Amino acid sequence: MSAATPFAILLVALAGAGLVALLEQAVAGARLAPAAIGAAAARRLREPLTLPASYDGWLYHGAPLLLLLAAVAALATVPWTPGFRGIDLDSGAILFAAALAYVTPAVFMAGWGSGHPLAVVGGFRFVALMLGFAMPLAMVITAVAAPAESLRPADIVAIQAGVPMALVQPYSLALWLPAVMAVALMPPFDTATASEELAGGAFARYTGPEAAIVALAQRVLVLAVSGMTAALFLGGWHGPLLPDALWMVLKTLAVAALLLWAGRRLPRLETDRLLILAWKVAIPGSIAAIVLAALTTLLFYR
Amino acid sequence: MSALGTALVFWPAAILMLVWGLYVFRTASMARAGLLLLGALGLEGLLFLALASQFLGVLMILMMSGEMIIMVFFMVMFMSDPGGLMGMDMTHDKRRSAALAAAIGIGLAVLAVATDWPGAVVSPDAPDVQAIGYEVMGRSMFSFLFAGVTILFAMVGGVLLAKEGGRLGLAEPGDGTSRRDERT
Repeated sequence: MSAATPFAILLVALAGAGLVALLEQAVAGARLAPAAIGAAAARRLREPLTLPASYDGWLYHGAPLLLLLAAVAALATVPWTPGFRGIDLDSGAILFAAALAYVTPAVFMAGWGSGHPLAVVGGFRFVALMLGFAMPLAMVITAVAAPAESLRPADIVAIQAGVPMALVQPYSLALWLPAVMAVALMPPFDTATASEELAGGAFARYTGPEAAIVALAQRVLVLAVSGMTAALFLGGWHGPLLPDALWMVLKTLAVAALLLWAGRRLPRLETDRLLILAWKVAIPGSIAAIVLAALTTLLFYR
Repeated sequence: MSALGTALVFWPAAILMLVWGLYVFRTASMARAGLLLLGALGLEGLLFLALASQFLGVLMILMMSGEMIIMVFFMVMFMSDPGGLMGMDMTHDKRRSAALAAAIGIGLAVLAVATDWPGAVVSPDAPDVQAIGYEVMGRSMFSFLFAGVTILFAMVGGVLLAKEGGRLGLAEPGDGTSRRDERT
C-alpha cells in the first residue's frame, strides 16, 4: 500500500458509483443518460439543507458520514489486481465484514436521529434484518477462505486460478448473495429505506448534500459487495486474453448488474418473512456450508 | 507500520476513545450512550490494528458493532425514557465509584508499565502458541461454552420480560394472570 492508494480507492469509489448509477438506469429499461446522474447530484448539492422538526443532531449528521466511511472501507478491502489490492491485511476478508457491520449503526443512527416515528421503525427494521444476515455473511467468508487457508482476499483469488469458487461452492454463493444484498440496502431487502416502505424509512428526512452522501454511499456499497463477490467467487483477476484489471472490472459490473436486476424482479417480503429466511434457512445453511467447505478443502485442496 | 505512523494513529485514537467513553455517562439518551460506547470500542479495535495485532483489531471492530447495537436495543426496550428527553444521570454513588475507578485505572496502568513484556514476536511454531491453543480448545472450552449459553439465556429471558404482557403473555381479560388485569 503506497501513499497514493487512498486516493486511488476514492477515485474507484466515485467512478464506480457513477457506473452503478448507469447500471440502475439500464436494468430499469431506461435510456442511458450519464448527464442526468450528474445533474441530479448537482441539484442535490445545491439544495438547501432542511432539518427535521425534532432530531438528534449528532446521530442525524453522523449517520451519512458513517455510512460512506463503512462503504469506502469495505471497497478498500477488494483486491482489484495483483498490484492494486487496497488495504491488504492478513485478515482482509474479515475487515470487509467488519466495515459492512457499520452500515447497521449508520442506518440506526439515521432512523433514530431523524426523530420521526416511521424513520425510527425503519432503523429498528434494519437492525433486526442485519442481526440475521450478518452471520451468514461472516460464515460464508470462512467457508471460501478454508480452501485458501488464508483470510487475505488476494490469496483467496490466487487459489481460484484453475476453478472459480462459484463452481466449487455454489451453495456458499447462494447464501452470500442475499446477505450482501441486504447489507447493501438493495431491494428486495430494503424494507428499512425504500421509498415505498414506511414513507422512505430511515433516510427519508435527509435533504441536500447529506442526501447526496447517502445516495453516493449506497452506490459505493453496491460496488464494494459486487467487487468482493467477483474476487471471492468468480476468480477475481483470473481470465484468458484480457488484462487482469479489465477482467475484474467486467466481473464486478456483471455481478452488480445481476444484483440490481434481481432486485427489480423479486418481490419485497415483510420483515418477519425475511427474518425467517435468515434464521431458519441462511444461518443453518451457512453452518452446513462451513462443514462442506472443510471437507472440500481436505479432499481437493491438499 | 513505522513508529511514527503507529504513534500518529495510536495517540489521537486513544484520546478520542477515552473522551467518548467519558461521554457515555454524560448523555441521557440511551441511543447516544450505546453508540458512543460503540465508537469508543471501535477505536480500541483501531488501537489494536495500530499496534500490529491485526486479527484481534479487525475482530474487535467487527464484533463490537453487533454487540453494541444489541445493547442499544435492550437499553431502549427497558428504559422508560430512552431518548433522554427528561434528562437523567447515569452515575450513582459518585464519590466511592470515582475513587474505585481511579484506583483500578492507576493499578492497571502501573501493571502495564511495570510488566516485563517480551521484546520479540514469537514464531507461529513456538511452544507457547501450541500451549495456548490446547488450553483454549481443551480445559477452558467448558467455561467459554457455559458463559456463552448463560448469556444466550439472559438475552432470551430479557426479551420475554420486555415484550408486552411480560412472561405470562397476553391473557384473556379477567383471568387474573396478565398485567392488564392489575391495571384495571
